[in-house]
Amino acid sequence: MSIILDQVTKHYGGVPVVNDVSLDIGDGEFFVLLGPSGSGKSTLLRAIAGLSGVDHGRIALHGRDVTHLTARKRGVGLVFQNYALFQHMTVADNIEFALRVRHMRGKLRRQRRTELLRLVALEGMDERLPAQLSGGQQQRVAVARALAHKPEVLLLDEPFGALDAKIREELRRTIREVQRELGITTVLVTHDQEEAFAMADRIGIMNLGRLLEVGAPHALYSHPATRFVATFLGAANLILARRTADGIQVCGTTIAASDRTPAANEHEVVAVVRPEEVELAPARAALTTNYLAGGVVEDIVFTGALERLRVRLDAAAHTPLLAHNGSDEDASELLQVTRTQHEQRVFPVIPGQNVAVGVRRVHVLPTPLSSFTACAPSLPLADALSREPLLTELAARMKTRITTRSEPKMGLAEVVGESADFVGTTVIASQTDCAHRSEWLLRRGARDLLVLPAGAAAPQRVLIHWTGEAARSATLAVSASVLRHVPAEAIYIGILPGQSSGSRGPYGMRDLLDARSEAQATHGLEMRTELRFGEVTEELTRRLAETPGQMLIVGVTDLARFAERFRALLDGGQWPVLIVYRGAP
Amino acid sequence: MSFRQASVLPGFGLTFGFTTFFLSTMVLLPLAALVLAASSMHWSDFVHVVFSARALGSYRLSFGASFLAASINLVFGFIIAWTLVRYEFPGRKLIDALIDMPFALPTAVSGIALTTVFAQSGWIGRYLEPLGIKVAYTWLGVTLALTLISMPFTVRAVQPALLEVQRDLEDAAETLGAGRFYVFRRIILPTVLPALLTGFTLSFARAVGEYGSVIFIAGNLPMKTEITPLLIVIHLEQFDYHGAAALGLVMLVMSFTVLFAINLLQAWGRRRHLQAASS
Repeated sequence: MSIILDQVTKHYGGVPVVNDVSLDIGDGEFFVLLGPSGSGKSTLLRAIAGLSGVDHGRIALHGRDVTHLTARKRGVGLVFQNYALFQHMTVADNIEFALRVRHMRGKLRRQRRTELLRLVALEGMDERLPAQLSGGQQQRVAVARALAHKPEVLLLDEPFGALDAKIREELRRTIREVQRELGITTVLVTHDQEEAFAMADRIGIMNLGRLLEVGAPHALYSHPATRFVATFLGAANLILARRTADGIQVCGTTIAASDRTPAANEHEVVAVVRPEEVELAPARAALTTNYLAGGVVEDIVFTGALERLRVRLDAAAHTPLLAHNGSDEDASELLQVTRTQHEQRVFPVIPGQNVAVGVRRVHVLPTPLSSFTACAPSLPLADALSREPLLTELAARMKTRITTRSEPKMGLAEVVGESADFVGTTVIASQTDCAHRSEWLLRRGARDLLVLPAGAAAPQRVLIHWTGEAARSATLAVSASVLRHVPAEAIYIGILPGQSSGSRGPYGMRDLLDARSEAQATHGLEMRTELRFGEVTEELTRRLAETPGQMLIVGVTDLARFAERFRALLDGGQWPVLIVYRGAP
Repeated sequence: MSFRQASVLPGFGLTFGFTTFFLSTMVLLPLAALVLAASSMHWSDFVHVVFSARALGSYRLSFGASFLAASINLVFGFIIAWTLVRYEFPGRKLIDALIDMPFALPTAVSGIALTTVFAQSGWIGRYLEPLGIKVAYTWLGVTLALTLISMPFTVRAVQPALLEVQRDLEDAAETLGAGRFYVFRRIILPTVLPALLTGFTLSFARAVGEYGSVIFIAGNLPMKTEITPLLIVIHLEQFDYHGAAALGLVMLVMSFTVLFAINLLQAWGRRRHLQAASS
């Protein structure tokens, strides 16, 4: 492995800018770090270059731990967005800079310079000053300069940002060719997904300081695991659907699930429909694919090869749409569609026309959190709860919706065996008889339950714990999903009974490490671990009370004496608690 | 040359006219009067005044101390500018404002203040006295006063140039393997050198013309601590207008020569830069 990052973390003013990033980049690989501005990608690149230190974690280049080495000793080549050429030096002096620093003899220096200028197709430009070159040429010089000392790793920080489209295309090709010719491991940082697709062997997508997903361009595009990646990498319609025994049910139509075996129990999921996977036809009978709903064409934009449409689905279809790339409120009710020239010729449409909408392919996100239901004894209370800042923030970041539901008898009537249909994550307000209400809801079919104190803000730290091994995987999945949308650090709390650290110690430690590696391998979640001794609820309560701004995610498999066991933790607590229940209702 | 060139300000003709008028009345005319006054002297009188031992001594002090002051400012002005540009610290804005104080203060006040502090009984002077260092009423005091009043020129000239030196350049040099000193010598210094030279020139020019602050701290001993501007005033007080004009003319010529030389140096530097590029 050329570059190994292990749990790299960097804070600025208490906020994690790079949050627990672990990544292996192979020899000669062209790796692209993709993310919106402020996602931490440039900071991570600077950390690899040694220009900014890390607060936590390790960085290794070619098997050599360089975490504490300065930039000048790391032997990397770095190319900047604004070229960063030495304006008072000629092209030749710029390129030979690294060689002069290393006291290389003049003849060898000139030889290497000529070689590099040929590589970036700038022969004969030796004596020009940077100011006399075009932007594209300057960036070529910067690339040649970065390669002069034969670095082991080439790092490119948005190298095409300041160039116009045509030059960009050309330079992209040059850099790719140079990279192949030299076989040098390269990391490129960009916010442009097209650029990432065009250049990468593998893409790593970052958001809020976390590395969300890593994979080959095509795999990431067709099988994203998170809603952020689904919507950031190309356009996507997110749709709330139900996974049933037969497949994926959207708007009453069941579509065969493409990639997974149907789950035993029915539940709500988030499905991705790419705009190009949507088919339009004059009537349902004319569709060649699965019928989704009827709709009306809202607007059409012609973009050359493709035509972009937005279709408003019929109200009767129960609007399963969540959101897509567009951030305007209205857009969440419109389905994005792109059609090729061929499709346009077969069935031309105009705005206002009624169409039947079909879907060729649906991809179900493995995320366990689909939507939120604010639940309270009365609708006005539920309504108030649905406007809680933390809840609205979570929903906005997860691009999902909040519905309200009144349960007048919540916690009162002890009717055993009466099961209601709870969809997505149920949310209740934190108050005095919270533990009791939670048990009531869990016994009636709620599976993920968020207990929310009034006015809670987004947490800076998320504590994770489960009381039964059966809940481990579900708790980790939910935690990973939450942490992808909240810039917080994750800590797994392992709790062993009593003070007897001696006898049980090693086993407890192994559980801890198992949990960590599963979190990382299956869910891409990096978390720290903490081992405590004592009674579960007591220890968790104590840990939560230590500092404000913490949230707990707790996995539960057994509801026996639930209210009693968790009373201290839930009743009137000042912290949000997300209960993940995986057991018989 | 065309007087029709597009610009934001109204009419090149008008602005050019104003420029020449302004320069003529405020600069050239008084200088011409000076030359005229000096030229009405007899040649031998002129030589007698201009090359008297007292005058030669004053030139040496005036230009020597000014040169020294400008050199000191070159180093310390750069350091101050660097500190203000590169670091965030409490009170930075305050220090930044303090830099301009010598501009705003009447120079006589600066001179008196310096004398108070550096006189043999002054706050600092009394500790320097046992060491055998006398500041007030020596050439050292003159240099000190000139350094103080010309310091803002260097700082203010270098500051914007330092802001121009992008962090990226230093980062780039560092990843290429350059050490700190190498980065300073090869990247930072060449970039700010023109600004440094400008700052030096301005400081020097200001110091040569200084009068107010120096007369209080210099002691004004003929041949020793008497600067040329003071000698001119002495001639004036004796109603020797021609002698004063003669000395003034010498200062004018010398100052102009030095400034012109520095300007040539800068132009040469720029040209060499371009030549390297086009060859």
